[in-house]
Amino acid sequence: MRLAIEGIGVTGGFGVGVDALRSALQAGTLSYQNLTVEHHDGAKDNFLACRATTEGLDRFLPKRELRRIDHFSKMSLYAAHLALEDAGLLDADLSRTGVVVATGYGPLKTTFNFLDSYLDFGYSCSSPTHFSNSVHNAAAAHVSMQLKLTAPNLTVTQFEMSVASALLSARQWLEEGRVDRVLFGAVDEYCEVLRYCRRYFFGGSEQGPMRPLALEAQTAMVGEGAAFMILTRDDGSAAYAAIDSMVLGNHSVAPVELPPATLIVAGADGHRECGRWYAETVNNRPVVACSPYYGSFPAAAGFDLVAAALMLRDKQLYAGPQDAGSGLSPSVDSVLLSGARLASLKFGPGGDYGLICLSR
Amino acid sequence: MTCPVPIAVTGLGCLSGAGMNLDENLATLFAGQRYPGPPIRFSTDHPVAYPVLELREEFKLPLDEEQLIYARTGQLALAAALEALTDAGYDEVSLRSKRVGVCIGTTVGCALNCDDFYRDYKDGNSPGMSIIERYLRSNPAAVIARQLKLNGPVQTVVNACSSGTDAIGLGAFWLRAGVCDLVISGGADELSRVTYAGFSSLMITDSSPCRPFDVNRKGLNLGEGAGIMILERGDTVEKKRIRGRVLGYGSACDAHHLTAPRPDGAGLQAALAEALQTAGVSPQQISFVNAHGTGTPDNDRIEGQVLQKVLPGVPFLSTKGYTGHTLGAAGAIEAVYTLACLERGEIPASIGFVEPDPAIPVAPVTANTSIAGTVALSQSLAFGGNNAVLILSAEGA
Repeated sequence: MRLAIEGIGVTGGFGVGVDALRSALQAGTLSYQNLTVEHHDGAKDNFLACRATTEGLDRFLPKRELRRIDHFSKMSLYAAHLALEDAGLLDADLSRTGVVVATGYGPLKTTFNFLDSYLDFGYSCSSPTHFSNSVHNAAAAHVSMQLKLTAPNLTVTQFEMSVASALLSARQWLEEGRVDRVLFGAVDEYCEVLRYCRRYFFGGSEQGPMRPLALEAQTAMVGEGAAFMILTRDDGSAAYAAIDSMVLGNHSVAPVELPPATLIVAGADGHRECGRWYAETVNNRPVVACSPYYGSFPAAAGFDLVAAALMLRDKQLYAGPQDAGSGLSPSVDSVLLSGARLASLKFGPGGDYGLICLSR
Repeated sequence: MTCPVPIAVTGLGCLSGAGMNLDENLATLFAGQRYPGPPIRFSTDHPVAYPVLELREEFKLPLDEEQLIYARTGQLALAAALEALTDAGYDEVSLRSKRVGVCIGTTVGCALNCDDFYRDYKDGNSPGMSIIERYLRSNPAAVIARQLKLNGPVQTVVNACSSGTDAIGLGAFWLRAGVCDLVISGGADELSRVTYAGFSSLMITDSSPCRPFDVNRKGLNLGEGAGIMILERGDTVEKKRIRGRVLGYGSACDAHHLTAPRPDGAGLQAALAEALQTAGVSPQQISFVNAHGTGTPDNDRIEGQVLQKVLPGVPFLSTKGYTGHTLGAAGAIEAVYTLACLERGEIPASIGFVEPDPAIPVAPVTANTSIAGTVALSQSLAFGGNNAVLILSAEGA
């Protein structure tokens, strides 16, 4: 069964909304913020990052409803409402709309805020609000509560494979008729501890530029954001594109089989450890990577999917800003012909992969 | 809509504070024993030492040195998976001819609850990455897939306390869709200082051994463990290898509150209705219910009221008194117990229950009780308002 992408809502380093992402993809515009983390010894760590905003969420929800909701869940709420708005469903009957959310790390900042509460003040002062918002399914819960969605609700965490894995369950729900529609989301957030870890692992990089198709170089730059989509059973008239198939596996156990005559939207995001898997599989095939527009984080695979859907809808290939001259990809026509197929391919560091094929 | 393809259960594995394998667990349950105590593996400055149900300290997981690099939840998941695969007659070599999926529920097993690392970071000590590296390689479903060199779909479900129930239901979907030939499904969670602090902050932990459905219940006891079911398509498995079947699964969301169940129980009722419908069975065919029964005032009251409404007169119990609340593992451990009890034709006493609560119109069994029939139900309620229900049958019971 094919899935139709009927609406998209996003917030990320490029801005808010599907038009903001499309504009960035068209113009090749990158939007990074200069961040500084001051360490205990007074040393300053300066780097670039793709941060997402939730300013404007009060267009959908009153501010008093948002007081105790953290950034992770606010990004999700924002993207969820934008996706519904994009699909014209804000006032629709959502009783048979399921929620599926994919996240690599969950609500990191709130997890550490909870630890702060007892490390600073003792266990008896542990914060119940931080604890209850620190569970990975907090975002899905807030989305269901604010939108009154009582149908099945699922959160999946599988690091880089979270999106492909969660999509598998979304498809099954639609195929078996459990729901008529799935509000499908991918979300991850930045926090200072994450920067500390990335600095430890990757040295003092993350200064740009991000060159995802320079597969032997470590050029990743941290990002965050939420990408939500409205998925339905495809009847041939998808607003954006149709998801034809999805396959998960491990390339080191059994090699991934890429479909013929398909342009690859690689989930490569400047991590050298994952780069080798792309080098083994996509060499000499038409390939683009869009991660520089939203940065590196596990749930960015959801943004790859959105970028692929936009390309199919617009019949336009949006090459990544650093693709030219990478030497990996043969030159490809920027116009996507009718019947074109794209495949979103994401590798994890151990060779685990998710391959999602789309067409119009 | 009923399930179009029967899903066979061909292997079971379980470890918890009640025992290190399924046989030990059942012996503990039917002997009416439990072993709550203060936490052994961590300490806090709480003025009250809330009892927990930990795996015995002397227990050594049946894993080699390479497998012990994983965080505890990953180890628990792997140990239960190996028991279940052995029960199903598989080893690493025989699995390679199959497309094998892994679907595991957890909560602690995916959270960056590394408070030792974070304390060092806060203190400006530049902690190393060994704890983070362990976290990154310990996603429970990925641990099983990596250790067994599997090449199928891998999914870690994080629906809080219904995760284990959901993982089994989702694994059944994969089989029906033909995505894989066999699914290692279930849940795993370790006891953690972080969840210990968190649940005590919510004031829903009992300072005594927990008392599900009792009028004097004060809250839950935390536990740890793992439960695994090996699922295969029933139409491709020799009948003699089948221990039971997953007949139905249902889930629904309260959309009400982050931690409290919906007062009218509508979400749980919707999950029960879907499970009964997909199983194609009537409430009268249910032999017993393994309830969520945490021992918290709200959960047990709402759950009891829904049981009276949807499944009146059906015997039920909570096994949380034996295992503690094992969070993401709970639904899976209880599903394993449910099938094992169907095979035995009896259920254990709902330990901790003594005095009925006038606010709850039903009461759990107070002694080991014989049951008739081959179909039973296991249900979970969770943070985030998730409700999930499995309907299972035993083969030849």
